[in-house]
Amino acid sequence: MVGLKRFRSLVVPVVALLLAATTACGGSGGADGAEESGPVTLRFSWWGNAERAALMQRALDLFHSKNPTITVTPSFQEFEAYWQKIATETAGGNAPDVLQTDFAYLREYADRHALYDLKEQEGKNLDLGDLIEGLKGAGEIKDGLYGVPVGGNTWGYIYNPALYAQAGVAEPELGWTWSDYRAAAKRITEKTGVAGSGNPIDTYYNLELQLLQEGKSLYTDEGKLGFDRARLAAFLGDGKRMADDKSVLPVEKGVQIKPKHPLESDLVAGAGAWDNFLDRYSKSTRAELRIAPSPSDTPQVLGQYIKPALLLSVSRKSEHPAAAAKLVSFMINDPEVGRIFGANRGLPPTNAQRAAAQLTGPLAAVAAYEDGLKGKLTRTPPAPPKGAGALEQAFIRINEELLYNRITVDQAVDRFFTEADQTLGS
Amino acid sequence: MATVTPIRAADAAPSGAGHRRGRARRSDDGITGYLFLSPWILGVLLLTLGPMATSLYLSFTDYDLFDTPEWVGLDNYARMFSDQRWLRSVRVTALYVALAVPVKLAAALGVALLLNGKRRGQGLYRAAFYGPSLIGGSVSVAIVWKTMFSDDAAVDRVLRAFGVDTGGWAGNPDLSLLMLVLLAAWQLGAPMVIFLAGLKQVPRELYEAAEVDGAGPWRRFASITLPMISPVVFFNLLMETIHSFQVFTSAYVVGGPNGAPAGTTLFYTVYLFDRGFGDYRMGYASAMAWVLLLAVGLVTALLFRSARGWVHYSGEKA
Repeated sequence: MVGLKRFRSLVVPVVALLLAATTACGGSGGADGAEESGPVTLRFSWWGNAERAALMQRALDLFHSKNPTITVTPSFQEFEAYWQKIATETAGGNAPDVLQTDFAYLREYADRHALYDLKEQEGKNLDLGDLIEGLKGAGEIKDGLYGVPVGGNTWGYIYNPALYAQAGVAEPELGWTWSDYRAAAKRITEKTGVAGSGNPIDTYYNLELQLLQEGKSLYTDEGKLGFDRARLAAFLGDGKRMADDKSVLPVEKGVQIKPKHPLESDLVAGAGAWDNFLDRYSKSTRAELRIAPSPSDTPQVLGQYIKPALLLSVSRKSEHPAAAAKLVSFMINDPEVGRIFGANRGLPPTNAQRAAAQLTGPLAAVAAYEDGLKGKLTRTPPAPPKGAGALEQAFIRINEELLYNRITVDQAVDRFFTEADQTLGS
Repeated sequence: MATVTPIRAADAAPSGAGHRRGRARRSDDGITGYLFLSPWILGVLLLTLGPMATSLYLSFTDYDLFDTPEWVGLDNYARMFSDQRWLRSVRVTALYVALAVPVKLAAALGVALLLNGKRRGQGLYRAAFYGPSLIGGSVSVAIVWKTMFSDDAAVDRVLRAFGVDTGGWAGNPDLSLLMLVLLAAWQLGAPMVIFLAGLKQVPRELYEAAEVDGAGPWRRFASITLPMISPVVFFNLLMETIHSFQVFTSAYVVGGPNGAPAGTTLFYTVYLFDRGFGDYRMGYASAMAWVLLLAVGLVTALLFRSARGWVHYSGEKA
């Protein structure tokens, strides 16, 4: 009996503790009707590194001093871990109020009803009037607005002019064609011993580039593939020939230095890439790097567009959409924020921020490059469909096997279309 | 292994004394014991068994982390057998287990034999061989390993000095798996220490008697050492097999989610992770996890059955 009594006296606090834990889990929800009256706390997540975090903190401090009732709790990870965290938080109904999103993931999250339609805040707490031309309408899916770009970039050809000079090959410039590109790659490899180019089939965006140059697109508006087997076979066959010809970087060299880019290790004379990467690549090599427009067989259609590099979205579960929209608006419009970030998030999205950002070195070169493309760009394609991220991975994986001579071009095409059926179909 | 038995027996003595003090006292002790255990019991229930039950349920559903899981019965399990990447991940993992376990155990036993005798600075050598197993599972070591096995790095240069030109192993589909096998073998510390403990238990008289009978070193090893330490070999074999099935960090760092180069390092766990957190196919990933559990269970059961034939416990006289 004594034992039982003592047992009970212990059970009560333990059960109470357990109950407390349960209620703690169920305590969310219950949006308050009286919005914006009292102080508000927003959770804000993004991916990046310590350098971006320091800049972000300065911007958030500025935001708080201008909006004293809104406190922002930031958190950040690097890219891959970020998406794993956001996925699990969203699944658990615990997504942050404001989150950084990527163009490739935007539709995935919007289609799954995880994001708030910012159209409801446009003109009220969210000012989109000053966005640069190429970014207007970016982040719209169907009739809703699910992300606001905080930076934009475009494709281009980053190259090492010293190697071009050494091989006696003219540097790439607007109007160069794909056959110019192939001839240059071959000659540079022969003359310098450094691979003349990265293999064009290493990246999905070179396929997109060629499709846009032909007036087609990677995905249709319905989210299906915008090209057929023959087109993919031609693209892959071209890359395979260049590899067999040894005018591009051998696949095993690229695999070994991943996640670094061959330009960072001086392994290639050039490669297609997003223009803001000029800054990153320049920082890790002693060679001077430059950027030029992509090769095109149809000089009037360059096939390049302004891609919203990073977007800010608001979670549908957020209890403070108005405050969240204010934060997003501040991040894209405030000139001081433009000055703080420079081109850390890609070139700033609004005219005011572009004017305020003082760019130097490679970043100034990127800005000049984009200025030179005004009027030559294609309309930004719709956000890629759900599963596009996985399909891009499949593309990389299959091409790697092709370049290791494990499969033929036809088998590679078959595999890609099978994967596409599975990922885009469901 | 043998050292465990006497400690257990000593431990049991006081609790045996407690038995004599009557029922009430004993049940009270039980409750207090459970209360002290409660953090771990709760941990097991909430953090291990709960999630396991959930993943078993999810394995029968189509679940993408966002929408509610949809019951699909055995679809996920059925689909695996026609999934080329799944089949490849099974082949890669099976090959790895078949290579890494014997190589690592042989290396551990070899080093243990070397370190068993009396020699100056023996403790230092043991620490040096044990060290890698403390850090070997980390991300940073995997990165260093990959760098060492890249073009023009340490391994490539040494081999070329001997006239062997393999290029960087990290980019060579024929050697990439071997590189990970060597990484596993390098971390031989834990089985080595257990082997050493086993070797210390072998009675010296047996060797002396055998020597008198004219047995050479190899004969002494095969007829005395191996049978005498067979329980320790069995234990190490079991642990290393289970660990090898679960290798993830080093493979993911070296090959990424695609198992580069050309899918040769696509381990089962890497594919599972990629399916779950890359493609958001949590139902499929859960089914994969349960198949892995069953496979490891089956292999363990087979090992236990085979043990009857070659593990001798007669050496441990209680």
